[in-house]
Amino acid sequence: MIRAAHAIPTKTPYAQQVETDLLATLQPMGRPGRLWVASLLAVCGVALIALIIQLRNGLRVTGMNDMVSWGVYMTNFVFFIGISHAGTLISAILRVTGAEWRRPITRLAEAITVFALIIGASMIMIDMGRPDRLLNLIFHGRLSSPILWDLCSVTTYLTGSFIYLYVAMIPDMPMVLRDARLHGRSKWLVRFYELLAIGYKGTPAQERFLNRALGAMAVIIIPVAISVHTVVSWIFGMTVRPGWHSTIFGPYFVIGAIFSGTAALITAIALFRRAYRLHKYLTDDCLRKLAALLVALTLLYGYFTLSEYLTTWYGGLGTERRLIDLLMGASPYGVTFWFWAVTGLFIPLGLLIMPSKRSIGGIITASVLINIGMWLKRYLILVPTLETPWIPPHNSGVALTYSPTWVEWAITAGGFAAFMLLYTVFARVFPIVSIWEVAEDAEPAEKVADMKPRERFARPAFVAIRALLLAGGIGALGAVGATTRLQAQAAQPRGAQLVLTMAVVDEEERLVAAVTAAGRPFKGARVAFAVKRVFSPMALGEEVTGADGKASVPFPSTLPGDSTGALAVSAEIISPDRLAGTRGETLMPGAPVVRAEPNEAWPPRALWSTRAPIGVIATLCTLLSVVWCTYVFVIRQLVLIKLAGREERQHRYIR
Amino acid sequence: MTLGRREFVRAGLLATGAAAVGIGATAGAPDEASGAPAKTAGDGPSDTVALTPDGRLVAVRAVTQVPAPQRTWDAARRGVPGRKWVMVIDLAKCDGCGECVKACRKGHFTPSDREWIRLYKMRESEETAPYWFPKPCFHCDDPPCCKVCPVGATFKREDGIVLVDNTRCIGCRFCMAACPYSSRVFNWGQPTNPSDSSHVATGPGTGMPRYKGTTEKCDFCASRLAEGELTHCTEACPMGAIYIGDQNEDAVTSGTGSTLQLSKLLRDRAGYRHLEDLGTQPRVFYLPPTNRRYAAPGEPGAETGNVNARVRNP
Repeated sequence: MIRAAHAIPTKTPYAQQVETDLLATLQPMGRPGRLWVASLLAVCGVALIALIIQLRNGLRVTGMNDMVSWGVYMTNFVFFIGISHAGTLISAILRVTGAEWRRPITRLAEAITVFALIIGASMIMIDMGRPDRLLNLIFHGRLSSPILWDLCSVTTYLTGSFIYLYVAMIPDMPMVLRDARLHGRSKWLVRFYELLAIGYKGTPAQERFLNRALGAMAVIIIPVAISVHTVVSWIFGMTVRPGWHSTIFGPYFVIGAIFSGTAALITAIALFRRAYRLHKYLTDDCLRKLAALLVALTLLYGYFTLSEYLTTWYGGLGTERRLIDLLMGASPYGVTFWFWAVTGLFIPLGLLIMPSKRSIGGIITASVLINIGMWLKRYLILVPTLETPWIPPHNSGVALTYSPTWVEWAITAGGFAAFMLLYTVFARVFPIVSIWEVAEDAEPAEKVADMKPRERFARPAFVAIRALLLAGGIGALGAVGATTRLQAQAAQPRGAQLVLTMAVVDEEERLVAAVTAAGRPFKGARVAFAVKRVFSPMALGEEVTGADGKASVPFPSTLPGDSTGALAVSAEIISPDRLAGTRGETLMPGAPVVRAEPNEAWPPRALWSTRAPIGVIATLCTLLSVVWCTYVFVIRQLVLIKLAGREERQHRYIR
Repeated sequence: MTLGRREFVRAGLLATGAAAVGIGATAGAPDEASGAPAKTAGDGPSDTVALTPDGRLVAVRAVTQVPAPQRTWDAARRGVPGRKWVMVIDLAKCDGCGECVKACRKGHFTPSDREWIRLYKMRESEETAPYWFPKPCFHCDDPPCCKVCPVGATFKREDGIVLVDNTRCIGCRFCMAACPYSSRVFNWGQPTNPSDSSHVATGPGTGMPRYKGTTEKCDFCASRLAEGELTHCTEACPMGAIYIGDQNEDAVTSGTGSTLQLSKLLRDRAGYRHLEDLGTQPRVFYLPPTNRRYAAPGEPGAETGNVNARVRNP
């Protein structure tokens, strides 16, 4: 085994210590650990039963109804997507800005992102009435729908988070691999580690490629993360519902996401350092720094909340006023809202605001409260708005309440349990604290000091990516030239005749019915004029014939023709009885109105159409291609790392 | 069918064409046409010969083809060419009897937990008058539901109708959240379908059969309109308060058989659309409830017996 012969270059004692300490987390679990996993599995099992019941019976088993058509699942979706920002965004921002204290917590944060996204995305699938038709999103996807934007940004974010998590883990993999071999781990696990290690040995060339990949990922993942929560907010913001149709919803949700994400990260750090006794690495100092960030985010979220609801309340539009009454007044939602304001905003603020009074216990309490509060807040954004439709409930008499059923609660609990389970398994397989980053930080080695930050992260050689812009009457009334009168006559009873013609009387076009009986003009017959319309004739008026046997009504010159393009005009005698039923009909040209020409290009390009506006397509394609090209760039660096590893081996062989 | 309009005229078949058109509607052919060789209407182009006010004969190009049978989704997505269906509801005539709701339920086999047309007891404020407000789907011209549908399962047809393809719907319910008029209902469980489907139009564009986990709503009785029949609610309304028609023809017809000129009706009676400010451009117009001759909701004598049980006094 040539590869095994390659030991990691000699390390400082500190680095050695870090490695030993952090690899210890990969040891088989003790009794509490197993109990923890077993209980999580039990919760997941109950959730699975609930899910099967729901799949069999449909969403009928939930508390949702035609008015409140989204509920707890959607709340979970927004919550988990929010939590996911903990991660990558915080880790990336701190990495890009070179905050050294980030080193022990980056992996914890990045893992939260990946698993929260997986749970969030599954929540949406559970919420679907027809999960079996999921692929319709690909076969029939409409780019104008915010759900498609969501699909694109969430998959992009998930892919990016996976890559980011993995790239930052590469330098740890040789150590993990060695450790696994040393402890005689299963063959498959060793092979898995081998695969992930891609022959990384920390040669200067490999390090360069790695830094390039990390730098590019850290930069690109920030706009992707922001886009994800913005687009989630747009699922609500793009509708015209009170409480949702708000221009600040994008930033409001992004801030909310980072807020809850940071709180989730603090909670995770607290749990892990207790479970694995990692206080030495996941330090108090680290928690305090995150707490400072959390104060800022609490204030910011409070500010956004005030801004959103004060504007809505003060403006006092009808439906919005009803929403505010429901949300903050004497209703269960009002109680929940103020409970959230106190426990999710003011108490955490009190615990965190004074740096001197900030205790570790207080920080953790505040984080837990914030997380509970943010779940409630998402519920309050969702449900009360759905209970405030445009047509007020007191008019419709339709039941407008929602309370989740045990199925929904079970699946929600299952979602949280699955999230923790994934996290636990991850921590069992991979070092939860980045070994190389921590070791590098403490190493006073010249190698690190020499490297200027600019060289390390700031110059991802972005290829300039070109935007891919995707290109995406009436028939002429020809005069025939004939002057022949076209007169259609109906079967005439008792020798009476009605001839329908057109005449211009006093510059007015009139429809003239000439009634003759026994060959002579008939005076005193009441004639009803009508024009044929799709369902039944439309009356044009009635008139009694004069001495010349003629009755006339104004010609409806503005009336468009029927489906043949012509006006089928008719006149019928309604009195006296002996002539009644005598009819005359004729066709006249309809008015040249603007009407829908059979349009080969139906449907037109529009937001509501299956053909999206060019602008929407172009924007989406541009944004997605920029991000995915960066991903390709990063993956290319990984290939280069692998190739560099091989070259190194050959070198040694030749030497 | 290969003849263009020009050739059609040159061939001297004018009179024949006129006769062919005339035969369809009248018993006797005009004298001028009697000597011409007989030809069927199908041989010529789909032009109609019509008489102008100054006595000239002109050819009018037909704007529609024969409606294709809507047995495929492609045809059902397109609708009846040349039509623009429109509804007018005269609130002055509505007495809240709820016959429209009942007829709709019967005609569409809607399960008891939902209504495609709802009867609301409207009252904007204490100071203003109460009135009855039948509310079908508005089939908006800028439909918020179609904007948000991720898979194009709900779509706007050329004839103005907004339909749901319940074989494509993924059940995300975004359309329900987006509709400001709460027009959409969902099949939360396995829906009941009529056991004997021989009298029921099923297949693309009919909304039948129903599927679990999909959205549905009022379809303007699309399959009835295509065959020249009135919608169920229009036909059932004893007051003749609900009109349906073709905006291209500028006429609407009520269940009591009166056909009125749409533009004139809306002008004379100050027609409006509900929540016009939302910009959805509904295809359902309302005539204000002025000079009512029946008891309004809440007043003594208001007819409530027929109204669905879910509609109750506020």
